[in-house]
Amino acid sequence: MKRYRQHSIEFGNLSDVPFWKTAGPIDLVYISYGLLVVLLVFVSYVLGMTGFLPFDPQEINLELLMAPPNTEGHLLGTDFMGRDILARLIIGIQAYFLPGLLAIALALALGTCFGVLAGYWGGGLDTASTYVSNLLNSFPRLVLILLMVAAFKPDIYLVMTVVGITNAPTVASLIKSKIQFLKQKNFIEAATALGLKNAVIIIKHILWHNCRSVLIIQATLGMAEVILIETSLSYLGFGVQEPTPSWGNMVQSGANYFMQGKFWPSTAPAMAILLTIMGFHLLGDSLNNILERKRDQ
Amino acid sequence: MTDTILEVQNLKKHYNQNGGLFSAFKGKENVIPAVDDVSFYIKEKETMGLVGETGCGKTTIGRTLLKLIPATSGKIIFNGTDITHLSAAQFRPFRKKIQMIFQDLDAALNPKMRIKAILQEALTVHCRLSDAEIDHRISELLEMVNLKKSKLSNFPNELSGGEKRRVGIARTLAVGARFIVADEPTSALDVSIQAQVVNLLRDLQKELRLSYLFISHDLRVVELVSHKVAVMYLGQIVEMGLAGRIANAPRHPYTAVLWSSLVDKKSDESIKNEGNPNEGQWGVFDFERPNVGCRFAPRCPVYHAKNRPTICTDPATSPQLQKIDDAHQVRCHFPL
Amino acid sequence: MIGVPVLKIENLRTYFYSSSKQAFSRAVDGVNLALEKGETLGIVGESGSGKSVTALSVMGLVTAEPGVITGNIGLKTDGVQKNLLQDIEDYVKITNENGRTVEVSKDNPGWQRHIDRVLRGVRGKEISMIFQNPKLSMNPFSSVGKQIKEAIMLNTSINNAQEARERTLYWLEQVKIDSPRLRYDNNPYGLSGGMCQRAMIAMALSSEPSVLIADEPTTGLDATIQSKIVSLLEELKSSVGVTTLLISHDIDVIKTLSDRVSVMYGGRVLESGPSKEILSAAHNDKHPYTAALLASIPTARQIKAKSYLQAIKGDVLDTINLPSGCLFYARCHQVTEQIKMQCKHQEPELREISSNHNVRCWRFFNA
Ligand SMILES: Nc1ncnc2c1ncn2[C@@H]1O[C@H](COP(=O)(O)OP(=O)(O)OP(=O)(O)O)[C@@H](O)[C@H]1O
Ligand SMILES: Nc1ncnc2c1ncn2[C@@H]1O[C@H](COP(=O)(O)OP(=O)(O)OP(=O)(O)O)[C@@H](O)[C@H]1O
Ligand code: SF4
Ligand SMILES: [Mg+2]
Ligand SMILES: [Mg+2]
Repeated sequence: MKRYRQHSIEFGNLSDVPFWKTAGPIDLVYISYGLLVVLLVFVSYVLGMTGFLPFDPQEINLELLMAPPNTEGHLLGTDFMGRDILARLIIGIQAYFLPGLLAIALALALGTCFGVLAGYWGGGLDTASTYVSNLLNSFPRLVLILLMVAAFKPDIYLVMTVVGITNAPTVASLIKSKIQFLKQKNFIEAATALGLKNAVIIIKHILWHNCRSVLIIQATLGMAEVILIETSLSYLGFGVQEPTPSWGNMVQSGANYFMQGKFWPSTAPAMAILLTIMGFHLLGDSLNNILERKRDQ
Repeated sequence: MTDTILEVQNLKKHYNQNGGLFSAFKGKENVIPAVDDVSFYIKEKETMGLVGETGCGKTTIGRTLLKLIPATSGKIIFNGTDITHLSAAQFRPFRKKIQMIFQDLDAALNPKMRIKAILQEALTVHCRLSDAEIDHRISELLEMVNLKKSKLSNFPNELSGGEKRRVGIARTLAVGARFIVADEPTSALDVSIQAQVVNLLRDLQKELRLSYLFISHDLRVVELVSHKVAVMYLGQIVEMGLAGRIANAPRHPYTAVLWSSLVDKKSDESIKNEGNPNEGQWGVFDFERPNVGCRFAPRCPVYHAKNRPTICTDPATSPQLQKIDDAHQVRCHFPL
Repeated sequence: MIGVPVLKIENLRTYFYSSSKQAFSRAVDGVNLALEKGETLGIVGESGSGKSVTALSVMGLVTAEPGVITGNIGLKTDGVQKNLLQDIEDYVKITNENGRTVEVSKDNPGWQRHIDRVLRGVRGKEISMIFQNPKLSMNPFSSVGKQIKEAIMLNTSINNAQEARERTLYWLEQVKIDSPRLRYDNNPYGLSGGMCQRAMIAMALSSEPSVLIADEPTTGLDATIQSKIVSLLEELKSSVGVTTLLISHDIDVIKTLSDRVSVMYGGRVLESGPSKEILSAAHNDKHPYTAALLASIPTARQIKAKSYLQAIKGDVLDTINLPSGCLFYARCHQVTEQIKMQCKHQEPELREISSNHNVRCWRFFNA
């Protein structure tokens, strides 16, 4: 049961209500959770730069190997080299954030460009970009990443570049089909007739008004995906390299001790991964709902 | 002094229509001559009505004039400038002056933009305005087209057909056009709003010296608003002349058929009995046998009454648009 | 067969909610209509008065929320007898304050599922509809012929593909589409507006329904084809006896085709009765709105003199902010001093003024 209520019985002064008042309560909860996750990322950078951490994340303490949580001020305990897990956890997110942004930016930028070229102008460009994306899609991504890493060096930025490029075709085909659908309605033609430049039509009418939900979802899903990919690469030893902490290599190194009943070195980063990924998913979802005013329709 | 604002010479627009996915292999491509050799001119402060069968190419003419689709051949001269071959950038300044009210308004409004944003955009395409000016102009426009202010925050899909139509008209007015292609601006409106729109368009014509190409199926409205009327059939103009003459003393058989089929002109019984000699044959682009002679011949009462003279169907003698007296042209061998 | 309504709409209310204004838009607000077997009921009215929404409500195709909130739609044909809004009370809860609906709770997903179940075998089969906007109502990615063929195979006894194709071509021919064989493979977007409209009509007719809802079937068509469609509908009426709900702005079309007319304004029926009485200029006893509407039709004299047309002055109705008195009061020219207060503050009821002719206006029953 959904409630619709007319608040004022005195008509006539029904002005516009700001969007956050009309958003569904669930969406608001989700979006605040998502924004909290994003905020924590920034907090991590601030803490990292000001050195305002409980311990130095790189500091090895051979006296306190695998200390359980809450020993000698180590709130989450220490890992196999005696480094503080909390500090590494806080710094760990930084391993993803910039490379992740790079991957997302690449995927969205390339994907949007190709999608627009193929969808808006079509013809030969469409055929060409379809070939390119088919080529990229026909390559198993993990294999491609491993090849690149083997050829050059295991660098997270390199990995993320590959992830970004291989994600581009997905975005491109989403944008392309959206544009082809929109062209069937003729508001694009009407906008041209009005005298708008192609650039304005593409950016404002197509991308902003009609594709932003696609892009937002792709971006937030992309961030979540980046974290997952790094985690799996860590298992293969190609993720972020020690001693730089990342949640992936923390889980990986901690997992060796899990069977011995020492769960904390791997559980803490695993939980962090779970909560963060969830945060990005919910952020994308609720942002989409609010921007598109889903409840209006 | 009245100047010619728009002149069209021998305009042609052919659509290529692929016959399905494998047409490239079959080597079969149909060319639809949607507009075939059309010439006319429109003077300042003048309205030219354009009527004709559905699918005869009226909208296509409008879209070609606005350079939304390229002309296959021919010449479009606007205000003394040949705009046929201008690039998009060169043509942009002209867009302020040539506007179109779209036939399919449902699709012509961006579904994700609020009405206010749509109008605001139109106001600011060609000039900068302050927020206060924009608000002022928007309320002016709303008043002109009689739309409620409360609809400003709605999305197009929340409006009724008539409301959408008025938003579309408000949008062309916002740009400040001098020449407007009005593609069926009164269809899907109730008669009162139709009357309003017609009055509005005529008022604006007087005030702003607008010229219209007025495409419509409503023959009475066309007769009312237009100074001259062109009648089209399958891509060609078959008759062109002053509005009153076309309506009351048509010379081309198609024009006569068209005007006599006005639903109210006949009593209830005559509708059923009105027989066309060749019921089955409706205007056809016959691709196997490209149109020969007069395109209207298969449906033409005169042709059948005269026992199918070959002059009508012989490609060599296909009728040309001829002046039969000043300001009246007919494309027929046997004008009525 | 008089007195057996095939389709009977009672107290239909369809509201929309604007969350940015936090208010209801009362698109259809208590509409009563009845269609007797074989008759054609015309609906005229202002654009935005809820004609299309009424039709969509019958078809269960209102997707915006909350949508239909109350009403009864009785359908009684040879095949089916049911209330199309059966059990709507279970899904909707309405709170009134001072006689106005201020809160509606509706389980929309549940209602959609429920109505899809109720309307199975009705939609498209017993009742089919010619939509106002053909391009939006047909699948843009599939050919016109294929869509009609599918409709035929789904809704009629024909289930042989070849036969269905023949039948499709027959209907395309019936609506005067030129070279039907060629157009069969066209997508809706390759057709001109009018042709698409005719394809839509062919699709609606192809399932041979008992009730046909035609939402502006002749807009966008030229005069010759308009008259053909009109005679096609007329022929269907006399030969097959299709019961038709005809919505149109073209008074002449309504006059020619319909037996009775309902005039809608602001989501209500203001007047209903025999079309000859209501739509003839000679007959004086009619609602002021209907009179004003008829006066806006261009007359031969006006056309000759190129004079101004007579439009109804004043603001169009705002469905969010309906006035409390007569809906037409603000624009009415026939208010007399005597009934002024009533017109302004109290809404008149739809009452009979002569046999079968109902009007919602104080002028006629001021006691
Ligand atoms: N994009 C297109 N591709 C192929 N054919 C087209 C295209 N657009 C229009 N046509 C064809 O061109 C012809 C003319 O179409 P147009 O839309 O100009 O007709 P119209 O006179 O405006 O008709 P209506 O009165 O129904 O709007 C039609 O036969 C149509 O099928
Ligand atoms: N999906 C929707 N959401 C919100 N409001 C809507 C929606 N659909 C229609 N309306 C509103 O409901 C009212 C009635 O619309 P409807 O389409 O029934 O009008 P109509 O009588 O068919 O008009 P027209 O003759 O112009 O087609 C209008 O004010 C419109 O703005
Ligand atoms: S009730 Fe009064 S205001 Fe309404 S139509 Fe009749 S006379 Fe006019
Ligand atoms: Mg057209
Ligand atoms: Mg409608």
